[in-house]
Amino acid sequence: MLARLPGVWRGGELEHAVHATVPTGHAALDRELPGGGWPLGTLSEVLHDGVGIGEVGFLSGALARASGDDRLVAWINAPHVPYAPALDQAGVPLDRCVVIRPQSSEEALWAAEQALKSGACGAALLWLSNVKNQYAWLRRLQMAAEAGRAMAIFFRSTADEALSTPAHLRVVVSRENGELKVRIPKRRGPPLSSFVGLHDLRGYRPLQVGAVPRILTVVH
Amino acid sequence: MLWVALELPALPLQIAERAGASADAWVISEGTAQRPTVACANEAARRAGIREGQAVAAAKALAGELKVLERDPAAEVAALERLAAWAGQFTPMVNVEAQGIVLEVESTMRLFKGHAQLTAEILKGVRELGFRATLGVAPTPLAARLMARAEARGLQVRSCLDPRDLRTRLADLPLFLFDWPAETLARLTDLGVLRVKDILELPYDGLSRRFGQSVVLSLERLLGNVADPRRPYVPPPSFRSRIELPAEAEGVEALLFPLRRLLVEFEGCARGRGAGVQQLALVLEHGRKTRTRVALEFASPERESDFILAIAREKLGRLQLAAATIALSLRAEALIPCVPRNAAWLPGAQERAIERDRLIERLAARLGRDRVFGIALANDHRPEKGWKPGSDPRRLNRGLTPRRPVWLLQRPQRLITDDGHPSMQGMLEFVAGPERIEAGWWDGEEVSRDYYVASNPLGETYWVYREHRDPAAWYLHGVFS
Repeated sequence: MLARLPGVWRGGELEHAVHATVPTGHAALDRELPGGGWPLGTLSEVLHDGVGIGEVGFLSGALARASGDDRLVAWINAPHVPYAPALDQAGVPLDRCVVIRPQSSEEALWAAEQALKSGACGAALLWLSNVKNQYAWLRRLQMAAEAGRAMAIFFRSTADEALSTPAHLRVVVSRENGELKVRIPKRRGPPLSSFVGLHDLRGYRPLQVGAVPRILTVVH
Repeated sequence: MLWVALELPALPLQIAERAGASADAWVISEGTAQRPTVACANEAARRAGIREGQAVAAAKALAGELKVLERDPAAEVAALERLAAWAGQFTPMVNVEAQGIVLEVESTMRLFKGHAQLTAEILKGVRELGFRATLGVAPTPLAARLMARAEARGLQVRSCLDPRDLRTRLADLPLFLFDWPAETLARLTDLGVLRVKDILELPYDGLSRRFGQSVVLSLERLLGNVADPRRPYVPPPSFRSRIELPAEAEGVEALLFPLRRLLVEFEGCARGRGAGVQQLALVLEHGRKTRTRVALEFASPERESDFILAIAREKLGRLQLAAATIALSLRAEALIPCVPRNAAWLPGAQERAIERDRLIERLAARLGRDRVFGIALANDHRPEKGWKPGSDPRRLNRGLTPRRPVWLLQRPQRLITDDGHPSMQGMLEFVAGPERIEAGWWDGEEVSRDYYVASNPLGETYWVYREHRDPAAWYLHGVFS
């Protein structure tokens, strides 16, 4: 009886269609995300250790879609300048990308808030560590993301997993045996205890036979 | 025709208090240098018992410390002219008069959804400029002016829209509201002719013989029987306005309120001309001829005061002011035609583009122009020259290039090698490669490298290379994030 009533949410279900979402391009991941994709209009967190495990790359599908409708993708305080040819390959329109290099964490947070609430950004990506009043700031970003209906992604260390967050989505990414493992400790709905494995390294040209570099020989 | 008259009572006082009222008592003096009298007194001075028309010497006796400013008729005219320029957004026909302006609104009333909406809009705007005004609405400019003056003196007058009602609406207004010579008014009072209805009962030929043709002419103009041609005020091609602060302002926050007044004035003026600016010069005056100039620049013509204020706030926030500010001035030299934007139900590409420009301006105003930039592909095979800052919607057809890393290091980093094998937090294992890149021999920055994709035991994937001429040296160039 209760199960048939519309509008009654049961604990085991994922919440649907509360926020607009965009598909990430990884079907296995989309299945586990409420609404079937990466959420727009809300703050989400990507926790990772080190750089270079593909923590940005797995979002490229979502970024490409978020930049539709002429909206910007803001790269705020990224560890390096995003490399144009790589974004172009990933399908992120370059003329929608804006790189913002603030000089302090206050400036970075301010820029992120402005970008999100302006409505001009489809996505804002923020890298920042060691912020004072972090929870309060993230709350502000969450509200700014709602106001601008933008995708807000905050990249932080896995060491922060114990800290509470106002973000509606938190994913932890790691790489094992060439596969990107995604864990979802927080989402609208029950947390995902298992991993989603993504084969995101397609597109590498396989190593040519005999091309394994022999050290100290000049390869011509 | 329908006219709206704005009357600014105690204009010298209003100009001086525009940026905020002062707690000290002060008056504005006029008349001869030998015996100056009080033209206007501020709130504090009035509380001390000082009234208009008193000798300044008498006023000084009433208040302990009294500041006396001399009346500046040129500043009053300038203030009214800027008000007229601002009012140009409501109608092209604005006329400057003593103590106020008149606007012809019949032709534009429909645009503002009726006269009630329009007058409410005008009064709200005048308040935002920092002025107090009373308002009269009537079919002739003189009648509108009389009504505005009556209201300034606390008399209730209803707006008159129909010329047939004009006589009855004006009937009870006192004659001293006219700009007639004091002598004429005194003689009329002696005759017991005090109100408009009294004088309208008198025969015109008698009036004309006793008081001159001008009195009859003004009555005829009042009722609309004789044309009252007005020349519209033509604002100068550039905009400049200045505001003095009531007290020295130390910080930047205190400047925002008076700055807003200047920007509202600018917006009205620009709107009246269908124009915007790409450059605005804001000058903070510190006294002793020191000043700070702040240039506000926009990608597309702008005039909205709220937006410009937000930009100015960020710019000012970055300033280290050497001294307190005593006055602000705003200057716009080149007013550029600016197409008004239609409010759209669904925001289209044009609105998006404007939102984007505005966000980038706002960010650049605070962070600096070099810290907010776009990225584009550059047509060069050398990885470090494969991109450039800036925006370029063209796509370069590169064919099938192997995958590129999201982060490219600004300078390649030499890797530690272990028995000739590169390592980066653990031994690197090659995943893909080699990709040979040989380019740049033509401009002296030659590269000839073999690139590999390699990952370490932590799962981090890097883009590494070695040079042909020194194959033992490995470099890290990119990170596959």
